[in-house]
Parts: sequence; structure tokens; C-alpha cells
Amino acid sequence: MTRTGQDGTPPGQAADTLVVGIDVGSTTVKAVVLDPVTRQILWSDYQRHETRQADKTLELLVAIGGAFAEVPRERIRMFITGSGSGPLREPLGAKFVQEVNAVTMAVDHLHPDVRAVIELGGQDAKIIVYQEQQQTGDKRAIASMNDKCASGTGATIDKCLIKAGIEPDEAMRLQWDPSKLHHVAAKCGVFAETDIVNLVKSGIPSNEILCSLADAIVSQNLSVLTRGQTLKPRVLLLGGPNTYLPFLQACWRQRIPEAWVARGFEWPKDVPVEDLIFVPKDAQYYAALGAAIYGLHQPAAVGRYRGLDALRSFIVTGRQAALGAKAGPPLVTDDDELARFRAAYTIPAFADARFAPGQVVRAVIGVDGGSTSSKAVLVDERGELLTKQYQLSKGNPIADTRELLARIRSFVESQGAALEVLGFGATGYAADVLEESLGADVNIVETVAHMMAAVKYCGDVDVICDIGGQDIKVLFMVNGEIRNFRLSNQCSAGNGMLLQAMANQFGLPVTEYADAAFRATLSATFSYGCAVFLDADRVNFQREGYSKDELLAGLAMVLPKNVWQYVVQIPRLAQLGHRYVLQGGTQYNLAALKAQVDYITARVPNASVRVHPHPGEAGAIGAALETLRVVTRRGFSTFIGLDAAIDLHYTTRHDETTTCRFCPNHCGRTFIDTVTPDGRTSRYIAGFSCEKGTVESLDALRALAQQRKALKIRYPNLVDYEARLAFRHFHSAEPPPPEGTIIDAVAVTRTVLGGVRRRAIRRAVRRSSAAAANRRESLRIGIPRVLNLYASAPVFRTYFEALGILDTNIVWSDETSEEMWAEGSRYGSIDPCYPSKVAQAHIHNLLLHKHAKQRLDYIYFPCITHMPTFVAGTQDSTSCPIVAGAPKVMRAAFTKEIDFFARAGVEYVDDAVTLLEPWYFARQMFETWGRRLGVTEDESDHACREGLRALRLFDDEMERRGMEILERLEAEHAVGVLLLGRPYHLDPGLHHGVPDEYQALGYPILTIRSIPKDPGWLARFFEDDLAHGLIASPLSVQDVWPENYSTNSVQKVWAAKFAARHPNLVVLDLSSFKCGHDAPTYGLIDNIINASGTPASALHDIDANKPSGSIRIRVKTYAHTLKRFQEVLADRAAQQGELRRRVDARRRELVAAWRGRLRGEARRNPRARHELSEMESMFQQYLDDDGVAASRDLPVDANRRDVAPPAPVEVLVFHRTRPPEAHR
Amino acid sequence: MNRTVVDYAAIERELKIFETEERRRLGLDEDVPRHWHDANPRSFTIADRETTTILLGGLTLAHDTLLTGALAGLGYRLQALPCPDTQSLRLGKEFGNRGQCNPTYFTVGNLLKTLTHLRDVDGLSVPDIIRRYVFLTAGACGPCRFGTYVTEYRKALADSGFEGFRVLLFQQQGGLRQATGEASGLEVNPAFFRAALRAAMAGDCLNLAGYRIRPYEVTAGETDAALAECRTWLYDALRRRRSVLMALRRCRRRLNRIVVDRLRPKPKVSIIGEFWAMTTEGDGNYRLQRFLEAEGAEVDIQPVVTWVLYNIWEHQYDTRRRLLLGGADPGRSGLEGKDGRTKLALLWSAEKAVRAVFALYTRAIGLEGYHLPHMDQVATISHQYYDNHLRGGEGHMEVGKLVQTVAHRKAHMVISIKPFGCMPSSGVSDGVQSLITARYPQAIFTAIETTGDGEVNAQSRIQMDLFKARQRAEEEFRRAVRLSGLGAAAPQQRWGRRFRAMHYPPHVVAGTAANQALELGDVAEWTEGATSA
Repeated sequence: MTRTGQDGTPPGQAADTLVVGIDVGSTTVKAVVLDPVTRQILWSDYQRHETRQADKTLELLVAIGGAFAEVPRERIRMFITGSGSGPLREPLGAKFVQEVNAVTMAVDHLHPDVRAVIELGGQDAKIIVYQEQQQTGDKRAIASMNDKCASGTGATIDKCLIKAGIEPDEAMRLQWDPSKLHHVAAKCGVFAETDIVNLVKSGIPSNEILCSLADAIVSQNLSVLTRGQTLKPRVLLLGGPNTYLPFLQACWRQRIPEAWVARGFEWPKDVPVEDLIFVPKDAQYYAALGAAIYGLHQPAAVGRYRGLDALRSFIVTGRQAALGAKAGPPLVTDDDELARFRAAYTIPAFADARFAPGQVVRAVIGVDGGSTSSKAVLVDERGELLTKQYQLSKGNPIADTRELLARIRSFVESQGAALEVLGFGATGYAADVLEESLGADVNIVETVAHMMAAVKYCGDVDVICDIGGQDIKVLFMVNGEIRNFRLSNQCSAGNGMLLQAMANQFGLPVTEYADAAFRATLSATFSYGCAVFLDADRVNFQREGYSKDELLAGLAMVLPKNVWQYVVQIPRLAQLGHRYVLQGGTQYNLAALKAQVDYITARVPNASVRVHPHPGEAGAIGAALETLRVVTRRGFSTFIGLDAAIDLHYTTRHDETTTCRFCPNHCGRTFIDTVTPDGRTSRYIAGFSCEKGTVESLDALRALAQQRKALKIRYPNLVDYEARLAFRHFHSAEPPPPEGTIIDAVAVTRTVLGGVRRRAIRRAVRRSSAAAANRRESLRIGIPRVLNLYASAPVFRTYFEALGILDTNIVWSDETSEEMWAEGSRYGSIDPCYPSKVAQAHIHNLLLHKHAKQRLDYIYFPCITHMPTFVAGTQDSTSCPIVAGAPKVMRAAFTKEIDFFARAGVEYVDDAVTLLEPWYFARQMFETWGRRLGVTEDESDHACREGLRALRLFDDEMERRGMEILERLEAEHAVGVLLLGRPYHLDPGLHHGVPDEYQALGYPILTIRSIPKDPGWLARFFEDDLAHGLIASPLSVQDVWPENYSTNSVQKVWAAKFAARHPNLVVLDLSSFKCGHDAPTYGLIDNIINASGTPASALHDIDANKPSGSIRIRVKTYAHTLKRFQEVLADRAAQQGELRRRVDARRRELVAAWRGRLRGEARRNPRARHELSEMESMFQQYLDDDGVAASRDLPVDANRRDVAPPAPVEVLVFHRTRPPEAHR
Repeated sequence: MNRTVVDYAAIERELKIFETEERRRLGLDEDVPRHWHDANPRSFTIADRETTTILLGGLTLAHDTLLTGALAGLGYRLQALPCPDTQSLRLGKEFGNRGQCNPTYFTVGNLLKTLTHLRDVDGLSVPDIIRRYVFLTAGACGPCRFGTYVTEYRKALADSGFEGFRVLLFQQQGGLRQATGEASGLEVNPAFFRAALRAAMAGDCLNLAGYRIRPYEVTAGETDAALAECRTWLYDALRRRRSVLMALRRCRRRLNRIVVDRLRPKPKVSIIGEFWAMTTEGDGNYRLQRFLEAEGAEVDIQPVVTWVLYNIWEHQYDTRRRLLLGGADPGRSGLEGKDGRTKLALLWSAEKAVRAVFALYTRAIGLEGYHLPHMDQVATISHQYYDNHLRGGEGHMEVGKLVQTVAHRKAHMVISIKPFGCMPSSGVSDGVQSLITARYPQAIFTAIETTGDGEVNAQSRIQMDLFKARQRAEEEFRRAVRLSGLGAAAPQQRWGRRFRAMHYPPHVVAGTAANQALELGDVAEWTEGATSA
């Protein structure tokens, strides 16, 4: 608390009228007392409120009362601001001032020369830009605040500090170093945390991680929150993170001037950047001060302070009354219920094993390097757990593991026993680095490890639900095997961490969370959602007056909703089975556990919900069990040894020398080099974005390339092929007919009454002049390689080529990459799905690179409103509204402050077209291009026809390739992966290389376009549906989705139907974050795929950042499933063969019996001998023919319906010379 | 002669039996996959009408009430659902697909909440509920998610234990098409449309009157009390198929009895955005209209009839554009198999009829100076920013409305409210609006995305801009008072109660109080240099 008089006047001599400004924020309450005459701050203080906003405000007001006892209450006026101020306004008699306005007031008062303010609060980020009216010179403040998704706030930074294992004090000393930055997604706090975890687990030093986070936050705010406006000096930095973190301040000071350079803004170079972009003193009080200053402009009657009584009364009774019926029920209704729950679910204390002195303990070690902590277990040869060790992550997985191993060794040796480590296995985020550095015997994916641990302790179960700090994993089991699984994605991650962070925020150790939550007599009712949304909602509930205990109870109760409604998305839990096992470190929090148990038992009759006896160590136990199996079977271990591991020396390096130079991306890799005490070395490489980054020399790269080439031939990746073919010249268009050629045409005229008359006529073709044609030869047109152009590029390329534009003059932007996005992402004003907002980076690429290299005349980005579809009988064939409208959004982004097109001398063309209506398409294209290219309508129409023809050829080529793969899969009983995605998921920058991961595992990859669409060929897959009249065509989705008007959506749904009916296909389902058109199809595709039992892996909510951790777990888990599926296919093929053989043998037996009878007859009847010899050949022919027929009758897969049912059997008369044709 | 016959048919028969047994033995008979098909129950016959209650809802209280009355007048049993609240949202999220926009969750959850109440509180069995109730909703053919709401209803109903519950759909853009099967109990005929439109327009009039009067009422609550009476009269008129005009006139008389003071300067805030989010009056938009009024603003709402006019305009535009092509194309907008000229004539008639009836209604209730937007004008001014071919949600209308509001000083502030991730509105419109606000720097424009939860941020952002709007309204009023010569000294006392409640001063500037002052001073022009919006 501070009290300062005017110009150093002692306290007590201030004015007899006071204006108080109070700011009730999401974590603190601040108060400022202002002298209304001098506008000097007389007193200021702030307190963390830990959700007791009213109590803390009371404390501050009591202190103010004490400091200004001489001022009567009637002479005090009060103005309040901040997100938590709502309930306090009325009791205090305070006038509310919105916080951005308050901050603006303070800035206007203290820094009239400031032109931009950046404030990062606990929950929100705000940017205020002052615009000067050119005529009047007036300043107008334009403010923008983050939407719910945006990150870059104090809360995110706090959570990331915990993840990186850095104390706040340390963070405040950290210096900015832009030379070693890694990719961190700052769009959303949860995305950022996921990336931070991956960096931590890859061994990246924490200072590099925090600088990367700062850079990501700054870039995110500059690209989104500025709404495309330039932040001109002086720029004021406000808010906790900006005030306390020097590396964040320095990052602003680097990135903002870079934007000035990019936008051609001239700034005073002679002023130090610290003065141009500065942090003021007492920045934390600006909102409170601004509220008070606002008060100075209000009539004297406004904001009359009512004293403390009403506030006291509100604290005692008002809060509960205000919450009223809105509040949810408590976690426990009475003590008995709690006692019963504790008795049933308190996890029994584990007693470490005891050893006799001199005993040799033979055991394996399993380590789970999780997101926030590492766990290690020691398991003996019989699979029994001897000890378990826990380590909160300190930032480096090798250091964490060494510490854990030392504790295990000490645990055994302190009892006088000796430890013989039989093997070492790892799982979790850190498994890869441990495999390389410690020579782990096993690197097992977490899901499979959890499954093994659950089965070991809980036997036959139906559902395993694991909730860790970052991830939620739910496994659906059948016969002890994973039948299907659901994992949290980027948007549903961080739930365990949220509980921990929330406890921290309230100053509560996480171990006391449950007791606090159980104390609550009501709860805040959260809706499921991502951790960032929940945190924002928490602020809302705080504002409404919920207490800490009630908020903690509410957060525990939303956890099951997040698991079952958000991640699993199966509302009818009972269909999954009734035996549930809960594990993961979060289950130690009994409040979260009780919420889970209550949720499941309320929805599943006869539910048996068990908690794993070692919930936090289940992954490590699974790794140990698998190690035991592998080492026993193999007979030796690859582990470097316990002592060597504990004394392992490691260094991490991330600099120029580690940068990958094998492609222009120049990935900044990190090398983790380890040396054992006996000098053995190993190197783990992290931070690369493709497999080229895994090698260090050109020779190794060549070997890798050869390997890759062989793999590509053996297992084609049609995602890659289609993405390249779409933009390549593959069809040489016919030129328009020469001038004067007589053609059939239609003359359209209006009648007198307004009708339309069309007459067929023959007339001469009209061509443009030679000069116009010559001009076209030199024109260059740039087109962004984005969105539905992945499905329509051949139309536009061919259109232009048919009109004489050289194929080399049709210039596509590069494929999306992280670098492209980082460079060209600062034009945007809104934040839709990544596929559409990345368009700005492509236009930037065309303007700044392609155009700079060789002049472009036009950038063409058509609003494609309708896309043709192969799906039959749809209601319409529309594009997604965002996709169709993106060109207009880009026009706005590139012209609103500076017209970047005009500046570059390029015309931007973005008229709408429909590809569904050939006549109208031709009209639209002529209206757009006729004048610009100097072509006649005849020429343009011809080019449109050629364009649409190219699209058909594109389809044909892809279907031909698809057919080849499908036939081979069937013949070889092999598995192919079908990518269910929208056309632009072919873009490597959007699919993040996920299809390539499966190709590398030995599966060919197909696309929706590559599935043959010939109804005759498809009929065998849809035979039953056709027969039952559910569909009129194999290409219909009417039986599953009548509301089918969106082209890309219906095609996804149809492809899911096809995959469900094709025995050799499995599904990889990609969907982008915020995809509004995929949302309605989630349930449909699930139903289709689940009913048929087709293996499927979905990666939803993909965004700009590559969710490497999420992809890794999915790919590894799915690989496990696919391996099993491949075995099932092989088993089934073998069984089919066995069936064929047995039926054939039985046929021979039956024929032999007939032959025996006939021979007997022939012996009795000599005349029949001749016929008998004829019969022998007929028998043979029957057997031979039926061998063929039989193999046809026994399809490779029971699902196949491509053969005719067995022919009607006829009676064969002995003296006929041939068996009937019907057998053939 | 002996003839021996080899019975190959018998061999084949025996082999079949053998094969079946072998298949079973090898486990191959378990491999036949099942396939999922969506049960889509839609039967609602004329015979069901007597015993079946149609549930409907989703607009404002006035609209839902009056629509219920209008359809009851056609012989249906109806029940309006309550305004969706956060409990509806939670149910919708539990049983809906992830990533949907929140109107889906609110409306789907609202139906589930009602059905659950019927089951758990009223004690009806699920088969009874399915037999005795149907839900009626509007449909669309995209291109945004609105067109797939019915998919969500089916999914949520099936997953929540109401599989088989019937959802009736009438296509807002499909003319008289319906998706309720043959011999339908719901006759979507001209009488149905007329009744629905009359109810919608009467609801619009009531809402418009309410939002004009309430901010200026002298006694708090008086307007709401009067509106409640008016709703009852209009409901009765529609249900008994009596004159709506007479009822509206009665409403005018009642509303005029409210005492108002229009010389209190208030920022006028125009609400635009996604149709449902800007129309609902509950938790779905954080009770935005009432929040704004509580913050001291006058709210300018968009009537439902504008949406009808937009739908008519879409067809007119598409048809006109294709009328003179060399051939007719397939597709919804293509003219293959359609008579473009007749279609245009019908659309022309429909538009004129809607405008004429609405004009009669507004005159009857006394909405002075209220005009429906000219759709071609809106389209023309927005086309360069937002292509008229782009559809979904409000299409180009948001952009056009903002430009018109700013250029013609219609409001001090414009809020565009939309569900989180709304494709046409937040995904396209907001992006384009950033260019509009750059072109018209005097605009105070706030785009708000709602998630249904946590209104703190949204309200805070509104308050942020409302602060500026309020300052502008006050400045405008001061200037108007000066111009009108009323004198600076508290003109309220002298003039405030001179006019009846339904009187609305002629539009000169954005603020009603300023307009009132100008009217009192007979000032019809806003002098140069005076900015209002």
C-alpha cells in the first residue's frame, strides 16, 4: 500500500474530496485514490483476491478509510471497473466504467502522445489504436479485445511456466533471444501448452521455450488483434505479463518495428526503441486510475459512495441469494455420501516391496515421461510392482529420468539388496528421446501401455479412461484388445492441468483440491469446452459471486462432460459396456474421480466403475510389462544399464550447426547428445518437420531418399499425387475455332411482354484481334493454391491456357508451410478456420515472392459458390460459405489500411463463379475476363468447356489410380487408408504430413476423388441397400443424410459409406478447427464407421500448428489397430482358403460316391461301360469347372457381393454328353 | 433301358449345407458387417391432427405466441416452446455433435428439455410423447449449418432416448415444398403461409413498438405490461381468424397510454448479425436487447419480415441473372425445367404483398416513419465488398445494413451478433466489415461472437463501445437542442411529455432525443459539420 501526497505533501493534508477508482480483475483487486483537483494519485494498493473479490475490496476500502479518516463518506465518490466488478457496483454505490475505456482514460491523461496500447491481462488481451482524423486532428481510440479463443494472456503464460518448470522469479530475469525460436501455436492457450509440452519433452532448454512462447504471443496479437492496423509509436505496454517479463517486452520491441518496415511506415530512428515501445511505471493501476479519472468528468451526483455496510451485508447474505436457483448441485449432499464414496474409492496406499539384505532383485523398469510429470516403476519377473516413483517435470526428460532411476537404485540398495535390471521400457511424450539415449528395450505408445496396465489389474474391462495432465485417452475394449479409441485433440486437451492450475490460482495445493470441492454446498455449472473457455467461464462465475470451493466443485463436475461429451462424443454410454476403469494422475483428485463415477453410474445401468490401484503409474506399469515380455522373448536387453543411465552426461544443442539444410525450410533442430560413463555416445534429434531432419549427412539423405522412393512405389500416396496433379498442366486445350467458322448457337431475345425467346441459329465464330492474342501471351496470372482450388484448379488453368495464356504464366502460390504462414499472416482481421485464413499467406506469397520475381498482372481468387459433385440426388452442391467468401475477406484485408495490390501494380480479381451450371459459369467467366483478357464471348465459352473437360480428365486419372490400388488390396488381402477430408486437406501444410506417416508404415493412401465412381463397379458394395430400396444409386447418401447440400460434406459422408463397405479400407478422418460444415457430419461418419466395424482414426480440430504429440499418439495407436486388422484380413483370407479347400474336398467325395455307384452299375451292365468313360470326363469337367465356380462362390470376403448366387442345379441325364452350361 | 441320373442338384444342395456349417465352424459367418441407416420418421397424417400437438419455437416471445395463435386458427393443436436458456444449451451440447454453432445447441436442447419435462415431470411415457407430439421447424438448403439442423435434431433425439420422435420441416426457400410425406397432417399451403406471415408481421410490429417506447417510458414496466395485453389481443384475433388490423389499432390505443419522455438522450444501437442470435431474447444472445436497454440504450431491431424479403430477393436475383442465358442449367438456381418469367412474376407479387400488408400493419399500430429496406439497394451497395452471389446467413445484408446505417445516420452504434464460429457472419462478414469500418471511420461497430456461456467478455466489449456511442448521442443531443432553439435549460421539463408514446420524431440524425428536439424546433436539416454516427 502506498500513500503519497501532492508533490511530496505528507498524508493527511490531501483534499477533502476524494475520487476512488477500483479495478476488480480476474486475479487481483486494485484501488487508487485520486485528488479531484490536482489529479494526483494519493493512495494505491492491490491484492490477489483468490475469488474473494468482495472481501478484498472491503479490506482495501477499510484501509482507504483509515488513511483518509478525515474525509467524510459523503465526500467520497467511487468508480469501479474490471470483469469482477458486477456484483459490487450496487452495494458500493459505485459507477461502472468498462475496463478498456478506463485504461484509455488513464492513457489519455498520462500519455497524450501514445498512439497504441497493448494490454495483456490475466484473461484477455486488448489493443487500442488511436487514429487521427486528418481534417480535425482529433484522436479516436479504436479498441479490440481477444475473442474467446485467442491466447497470449497471463493465464496461458502462467500455465506454460509450470509446464516448463520455471519459477516466476526466474522468468522475470530471462532475456530475449530471437536466435533459437521454436514453433509454438499461440492462437489458443491449450494449443500453446501442447506445443510447450512437446518442446519440454524434446529437451529444449526452458529459456528457448519461453522466448518461443513470447514470440508466438506477440505474433498472434499482431496478426489478429491489431485487425490489420499498424501500431505506430509511441506504443504503450500494459498488463502483468508486459510489465514483469522483460523478454516479452523485448520481443514486442523487435516485432513491432519489423511490421513498420514491412508496411513502409517511417518512424523516428533517432529515438531509442525503448522509448518508442515502453512500459510505464505503475502500469497495474491504469484501469483503476482511469475509472477515477472518468469519475472526474461525471456530475457530482454520480458514483456516491454508500459506505461499507451494504458491502458487508452482500458478503454475508447477498452472494448466496444472488446465485439462487442458477447454481448446480454440490458434489456431495451429506457426510454419509462422502464417507461411502471415500470408503469405496480411496485408492489404497501402496506399500513398497521389502528385500532381504544381500538379495538380488531381478526386475524391469518402466518409465512414463508424461506431460507434466514423469513416473517410473520397478516390476519383478512375475510382473509384480516393487516400487513406484514420481517426479514433477523439471523441464528435461533425461534429467527427470536420471533422478527417477537414482531413486529406484537407492530404494533397493538402501535395503542392502542389489538390483539387476533386466530391461528398460518407456512410454509417453519422452519415450523417443529415452529410447535413443538410454537404449530402451521398448518404446510403447501410451494408449497400449495403459491398456496393458488396466488389463493386468482389472481383468476383462469394456472401457478404459485415462486422464493425464494434458491428454484424455479413452479406449474401448473387446476381448482384451483395443477395438477403438478416442483421444483428446488440441481443443480438448489440458483438462488435468486446468484443475492443477486452478488450484494454484486460488493458492491451494492440488492435494487439497478435493477437500475444498467437497465442502461446497453448491457448484458453478460449467458447460463442456476447451480449457481456455472453461477458464473464461470461471471468470464469469467469479463475477457472479461463486466462491473458490464452488468453482472447484464445478470444474470437477465438468470434467466428465469434457471426457464423454467433448472427447468421446457418445451420449449413450451404456452402448460401450458397463465395466469402466479410470486411471491417470487426475484420479488422485477425489473430487474429479467422484464426478466421473457419478456421471457414469447415472447413465449406465449396472455400471462397475473401478479406479486403477496405480492410476498415475498405469503407463509406466504398461511399459514395464511390455519390457518384460520383449526381453524374456528376445533373451537380452538393449538398455545401457542402470549406473550408466544415472551417470549419463547429456548436452542439448540448438544453433546454426544443428539447422537442417536439406530443404529451404531450414528447420531449427535440437541435438541431444548423450555420453555414458564408459564413453558410448548417442544423438537424439528433435525439432524437424519431415524425415529429412532425421539425418545429418548427404549420404544418409541419399539412402533415405532411396528408401522413400521404394516405399512410394510400393505404397502409393494418392493424397500427394492428387495435390500435385491438380495444379499441373496435364491437358492441352483445343484452341477456339478460327474466325468465321460456322457453329450452332442460340439467339436469346426479350419479347414485348417481357418473355424470353431462344432460337437455334447458325452463325460465324467471333474471335478477338491478333493484337489482343499477342498481349495475352505475355500476361501472367497468379492464383493462390488454397481451398476449393484443390478441386477446381484444372478448370481455371485450362481456361486460361485455352485463351492463349502460356502455361508457365499461370503461377500458383507455393504449398502451405509454417514459414509461409509466419511470414504472411499479419493481414487478417478475423479468425476463421485455418484453411481459409491461410489464404492471406498465399496472396502474400504471390505478391511478395512470385510477383517480385516476375511481374504478375492479376491475382485471381474466385469466390466459388458451387462445386459439382458425383454424389447422386443431392439437395444442392454448395461450397462452404467461408470458403466461398474468403476471396472477399482477403480483398478487405489487403486493401483496408494500405492497398497492397495497387501498391504492387497488380489487379486483384475475386468475382463469384459457380462450377455447377455450365451456361451461367460461362457468362460469369466472360463478365470477369472478357474485357481484361480482350477475348470474345465465343472464345471465353470455348475455354470454359475446355476447363470443365479438364476437370473430368482429372477425375478419370485419379479414379484409374485408385482402381489399381483397390484391386491390388483385394488381391493381396492388404489394407489401404482412405483419407476423409475436404479437398484442401491434400495440402501438406494443412494435413501436417499425417497421410505420409501411414504411407511410411506401409499402407497405400487413397483420396475420395480416387475412388472409382462407376455405378456398375460400385453396385457390389451397395447391393443390399439398393435391393432394399434405401438408395436409388450407389452414389447416394439419402439413406444416411437427407440434408445433403454441401458438396465437400456429402462427398465425405459418401466416402465413409464406401469405406464401411470395402473390406480392405480403413479411414483417416481429418477435420480443421472451427470447420462448421464438418461438425454435422461427425455423428454421421461415426455411426457409419462404427456400425461396420471399419477401423478409423480421426484427427479433428487441426490448425496452423502441427500437433506433433497428438499425431504421434494417434499414429502409433492406430498402427497397433491396423496391424491387428491386417492380421484379421490375413486370417480371414486363410479361413476362406480353408473353406474353399474343404468344400472342394467334399465335392470330390460326393462325386466319388457317384462314380462308385456308376462303376457298380457298369459292372452289371456292359453297355454302360462306354457311357461310363464319357461320364469320367464329365465328372472331371464338373470338378474343374466347379473348382472355378466354387472359388467364385466363395468370395474373398464375406462382405463381397460381386458374384452371382449359385446357379440353379439341373438334373443330369446319364447319356447326355456334356454337363449343363449352368454350372459354369 | 436303364437310365442312371447323376443328381448334380443334390450335390450342390449338400455342398451348400456343408459350406454353411463350415462357415460357422471357421467363424466366417460372424464377419458380415451391418450398415447404419438413419431412421427418419416423418409421418404426420391428417388423422393425427386431432390428437397431436405441434411444438414450435425459436423466435421472440411475440412471434412464438402469435404463430401459435395463427396456426391454431387453422385447426392445429400447438404449443410454443419456452425461450431457450442455458439449460437448453447444456442439453444440446450433451446430445449434439461437437463444434456446432450455438443456435443448434440452444434449439435442439430446448426441444429435449421440453420432452424430458413431459417424461419426467408430467409422467408421460416415451411412446406416448412420440405419438402425441411433433416438432415443427424451418429448414434450409444451406449453404451454412442452418440447413443441417434437422440432422442434429434426429441425432439428439435418438441419443437421448426419444428415437422416433417426429420433426416436421418446412423449407423456407422451397416455396410450398414440404418434407412431411404424403397425406401430410401439416398442410403447407397458401393458407399456412399467409397465417404464418401475418403472425410474423404482427409480431414484428409489436416488437418494433416495444423497443421504440420502453427506453423512454417514465414508469418502469409500463411498456411490458401493455405489450402483454397487446399479445393477448393479437393472439385472439389470429386464433379466431378475425381482423388483425383491428387488433393492431387497439394495441396502438393501449400503447399510446404509456407516458414517455423522449428528450432523454440515449445511444441508438442497431442489432444486426446472424438471424437467430439477433432475434432471440434469451440466454442465446445474453439477453442482448434488455442488456442494452439496461445500459441506457435504445435498440433498433431487425424485423423477421426483412428475412422473408431477403429470401424473395435471392430468388429474384438468381432468376434475373439467368434469364437471358443461351440455355438452362441444372441445380437449384438453374432454370432447367422452370419458367423464369412466371417465377419472377410470382416473386414480384409476393414481395409486393408482403410490403403492402406490412405497411398496413405498421400504420395500424402507429409505427410512424418505419420503412422496410429496399433489398436491391442493400444488394447494390454491398456487392463490391460482399458479392451478391455469396449466400448463407444474412449474406451481404450485414454489410449493406452497416453502410446504410452509417451513411444515413440511422444509429450511433451497430452490433453484429453471431454464434461463435458462425460461417457467414464471423467467417466472412466480419472480415469484410473491417474494410467498411476503415472506409467509414465514424462507424462504431462491434462484432460479438456468443458461445452461450460466459457473457462477461461480450458485455464488456459492448460497454466499451457503448461508452463512445453514449458520448456521441449526448453531444448530438446538445447540438440539436442548440439548433432547435429550445435552450440549454432542461428542455425535458418543458417538452418531454408533449407527445404520445407511439409518436416517433422524423429521422434527421441517429438519436431519438435529438430528433425529438429538432422536431420541436422545426429543424429538418442537420447542419454541415455536425456528425452523428
